[in-house]
Amino acid sequence: MSGVERLVRRARRVRPEGFPWAAPTWPVSVDRAAPQRNLGADYDTGWTRRYPARLVRAMVLDNLTRPLAHIVASPEVRGDEILELVEAPAIYVANHASHVDTGLLLSVLPSRVRHKTVVAAAADHFFDRRWKAHVWSLVLAAVPIERHKVNRKSAQDTAALLRDGWNLIIYPEGGRSHDGWFQAMRGGAAYLATRTGRPVVPVHIEGTYRIWPRGGKRLRRSPTRITFGSPIMAAEGEDARRLEARIDAVFGVLADESRSDWWTARRRAGAGETPSPRGPDASPWRRAWALGPDPQGADEDDETRWALKRD
Amino acid sequence: MAMKGLVFERNLARFAASRVASAFSGSGRGAGVGPLHLTDVDPPELPGPQWHRVHPLLAGICGSDLSTVDGRSSRYFEDVVSFPFIPGHEVVGTLDDTDTRVVIEPVLGCVARGIVPRCGACAEGRTGGCERVAFGHLAPGLQIGFCTDTGGGWSNGGLVAHEAQVHPVPDPLSDDDAVMVEPTACAVHAAVAAGVDTGHTVAVLGAGTLGLCTVAALAHISPPGTLLVGAKYAHQRRLAEELGADVVVDPDQLARAVRTRSRSLEASGTLTGGADVVVDCVGSDESLTQALSMVRPRGTVVLVGMPGRVSVDLASLWHREVAVVGAYAYGTENVGGLLRRTFDIAMEVVAAKGLGSLVSARYPLDRFEEALAHAGAAGRRGAVKVVFDLHARERHRGTRPSTKGPVS
Amino acid sequence: MSPRPGFVLEVDRSTPSTLFWHGEGYRLEKLPVGSRVLYAPEPVDALADPVGAIRRALDEPLGDAAPLRSQLRAGMQLTIAFDDVSLPLPPMRSPDIRQLVIEQVLELAAEAGVDDVVLIAALALHRRMTDAELRHALGARIYDAFAPHGLLWQHDAEDPEQLVHLGLTDQGEDVEINKRAATSDLLVYVNINLVAMDGGHKSVATGLASYKSLRHHHNAHTMTQSRSFMDQHRSELHSSNWRMGQLIAASGVKVFQIETNLNTDTFPEQFRFLQRREWEWTTRDRAAFLASSKALQATPDRVARSIFHSIRAPHKMSAVQAGEVEAVHARTTENVYAQQLLEVDGQSDILTMGLPYICPYNVNSIMNPILVACLGLGYFFNMYRGQPLVRAGGVVIMSHPTPWAFHPGHHPSYIDFFEQVLAETTDPAEIGKYEEAYATDPWYVHLYRTGNAYHGVHPFYMWYWCAHALEHVGAVIIVGGDRAAVRRLGFKPASSMADAFEMASDVVGRDPSITHLHSPPLLMADVR
Repeated sequence: MSGVERLVRRARRVRPEGFPWAAPTWPVSVDRAAPQRNLGADYDTGWTRRYPARLVRAMVLDNLTRPLAHIVASPEVRGDEILELVEAPAIYVANHASHVDTGLLLSVLPSRVRHKTVVAAAADHFFDRRWKAHVWSLVLAAVPIERHKVNRKSAQDTAALLRDGWNLIIYPEGGRSHDGWFQAMRGGAAYLATRTGRPVVPVHIEGTYRIWPRGGKRLRRSPTRITFGSPIMAAEGEDARRLEARIDAVFGVLADESRSDWWTARRRAGAGETPSPRGPDASPWRRAWALGPDPQGADEDDETRWALKRD
Repeated sequence: MAMKGLVFERNLARFAASRVASAFSGSGRGAGVGPLHLTDVDPPELPGPQWHRVHPLLAGICGSDLSTVDGRSSRYFEDVVSFPFIPGHEVVGTLDDTDTRVVIEPVLGCVARGIVPRCGACAEGRTGGCERVAFGHLAPGLQIGFCTDTGGGWSNGGLVAHEAQVHPVPDPLSDDDAVMVEPTACAVHAAVAAGVDTGHTVAVLGAGTLGLCTVAALAHISPPGTLLVGAKYAHQRRLAEELGADVVVDPDQLARAVRTRSRSLEASGTLTGGADVVVDCVGSDESLTQALSMVRPRGTVVLVGMPGRVSVDLASLWHREVAVVGAYAYGTENVGGLLRRTFDIAMEVVAAKGLGSLVSARYPLDRFEEALAHAGAAGRRGAVKVVFDLHARERHRGTRPSTKGPVS
Repeated sequence: MSPRPGFVLEVDRSTPSTLFWHGEGYRLEKLPVGSRVLYAPEPVDALADPVGAIRRALDEPLGDAAPLRSQLRAGMQLTIAFDDVSLPLPPMRSPDIRQLVIEQVLELAAEAGVDDVVLIAALALHRRMTDAELRHALGARIYDAFAPHGLLWQHDAEDPEQLVHLGLTDQGEDVEINKRAATSDLLVYVNINLVAMDGGHKSVATGLASYKSLRHHHNAHTMTQSRSFMDQHRSELHSSNWRMGQLIAASGVKVFQIETNLNTDTFPEQFRFLQRREWEWTTRDRAAFLASSKALQATPDRVARSIFHSIRAPHKMSAVQAGEVEAVHARTTENVYAQQLLEVDGQSDILTMGLPYICPYNVNSIMNPILVACLGLGYFFNMYRGQPLVRAGGVVIMSHPTPWAFHPGHHPSYIDFFEQVLAETTDPAEIGKYEEAYATDPWYVHLYRTGNAYHGVHPFYMWYWCAHALEHVGAVIIVGGDRAAVRRLGFKPASSMADAFEMASDVVGRDPSITHLHSPPLLMADVR
């Protein structure tokens, strides 16, 4: 008899099998409706915005996430003076290259924003299992948003949150970049901005692709740069498409500013020569090559990476 | 001469003591503290008119005897053994008061037990499969050497045997040759059970007495395409080659040798191809696992020699549809359509291959602890078969040309 | 201070004991008075600006070749082949030479807009490299840009779809190489030259070849006709590769060869006593030697191995040249000789050498007895020009623990070769009859193609490498080796150097002359 079996035997003496100790089984002849599963976009995140959950989240963000972000990503922040002038609540749109983006962005936002922000997270990826839904909605204030299907509900819920005074972080690409370059935007952010009339603050996050890229197995320390741009307001009766194009253009300039500096970016913007944030139209190796050399230099070996999964 | 014999008594405390001693110091070393002791014995009574008295000349020590002495044998055998008994079932002796030499076929089947009608197995001549070994007018006992009424080989008081169990020894065979007939008969039975065809690859695990006799039996009766043997000691390797093995290697190299010869691939610790037949003459967890790892799918593993409680992962056996067959004792064999008694075939093999040279050491009864220790460590000490010499008279050397024996 | 040339020391009564490598460890042995000890030239200076030197080499090629920049254009097929993990030894510190060179090549390719680029590790029948090894050799930037897109290949000599047969040389030798490399518009080869045998036409003709091609020169006959295989003018191995290389060029394969020389600054600071002359050891050196050799004796084998295999050598590029294969290789060879050559007067009766823990075929792995024999009788014995250091019928004494240990993942066919073939015969001319079975065994082929195993036939090549030495010397003795393993190799085991000299006297007579090859670093003897 193996050790496991012996332990189970012993446990059974204290807590025997069967009803009423365990949940009852249903008789075959009695109908039963399918169990409610409330996952994905149906998951109710209301409890995470009540005081006890907010307290826990604040402690985690300030005492765990922030220090960790500074150790792993050493962020350099540019343009955060603008945030003083932004009227809360606002919609923060950022490019998305890595799962560390959210934690990092929350860490560099001022605390009054940080503690009153929800993050739009993919319902099919972060809310597909109960435990994941609980964890991400508590720790990051994640709210589910459908990215593959058209779902009025998640858009309406998010708009309601904005009206209630919650800031929103949303990634218009709809998912992490495959090669480090910005992908085509989806309509969610622009739609919300036009519906609620809140300002849109563009944020460019540079360097997280090196820390933990999509499909990466190892976490690696690397410096990052976060650039905040001037807020964009939707004009009276402006179409969501138009707003989207505006946001896209601003991203291009921000990306340029992040890679070079503000003045060079402005001059190029003026001349219409801003390089596309989507990267060169070339083979995959050349796109990867154009991301530029490693800021840390060539001396570091594979051993400084921390394994996340077994190879 | 005083009638002395080695008697095995039922004594649980001593049983346990010998188990511990043999685990600690090695096989056969429990003899000193175990339930086996040297004592005066009375010659056994003749149970009936068809019975004869046999005075042992040489009596061999077999692996099953060692297991019994060590207290390691399976509890399966408890009902088919009667205490107190004198061990010793590999016997060459003189018949009644004459000078005729005979070997004993120790299995006590229906005929010996006077059971009429005979059981199915005995009717077909497969005395090894007799279902009545605990019944009849004799005390329970698989064989002479495990039965209280018959006596056994390890005594100079003699034993009794039914006329069906007695085989005369032809003159050309020496005493050494004759004492090898019984183990060779086990090997012959296993060789036939293995069902080997020419062109087959056969691997034999273990090169002690039983392993070497199996090599000899296979080479003589049904020589395979390639015969590989895993032998730990140098003298065993030399003998295996002389007796007809094609490839003889160290046991941990055997799997690789089988792989290269069959040109198979490896997956999950087993070969995708492998040997057609693997004969396991060791009977331990490791040997059975090894045998399963080198047999081909739908091949056969033959278990010769008594195993104990063995714990093995059978996943590869189920998945690759491998057959594991036991081969016990002897009786009658069907060789090429002809029914012959195993002992007759065994005598041929012994004569053809000169298996008498496998007898490495002879001991008198009063040095039984040394004899059993030597038998238990036979491989390490350069020996193969260890026998008791009952000193009845001058050893008959036979008229065969002598061959060199193993290094002792 | 400029590096000193090598020199030959004659041992006298004031000479301290001499350092011998002994696998994962080292010993000091007293050599008899009158022995010669060969000390290598000191490492030459490394290039101060390696990246600049590479750029210049690419823009100013040697021989009949245009600058690389002008050979690159959008829409072409470019293949970059590079030497595998067997070079350099020991593996060098980041950045690896291959990383520096290939980054510059790719900069030019990116500028020209070349989209179709494939990188191939030219490993012939060696084992595939692990991801960590590729990342170390190429650098993270190149690895991350190519590997995830499946553009970083490892040559597979057993895939007929990936091979193309280019024809037969005038000696009837098959030339069959990697198809992508042969059919690209341009093949750039990035080589690291450690010894005179590397580089030149051998890079492509051997590195990207298949068994069908290799067996024409990887055999006992070719090796006995190569005296030595480090000397281009007297090496049948070299001639065969040159014929094949010329056929490859004639078939229209455009090769842009980039060759680099390494200086011999082989060991980092804490091991610098290994390369210094014993009488020049400072107190620190002596302390380092004592502490480390005692500690290593107490360490279990596995730990000692991982310590040594994690050493990253400080050797650096001392020269880089690019362009047409033969012109480039002529310059490279001059540089190799300038770094390694030492003039020696005459042969001796006994040649002694200490064998290190590493050879080209056990990087990050275990050195099994076959590799010990290959390193000593193959590589070290053949580091000569003119005639061997030991006379015909003389004795070679090697120092190595020679454990009966094999790496089952890297060297599976070596285990069977050692257990089955060498048990029958140790004559390189006789083992040939088993070669076909090993070369075509489906299990070895599977492990070579999908795992990290050397090809099934590789142990035979290791034994052929010893063919010249085995034919030339009278006896081989291994000091401090596992007795059963040494005997299986056909050599004699000795427990100490003194015993070894005694045993050698039985073969070469009383009062033999002795030459010791002091390594590290590498040296090549020019024997008059």
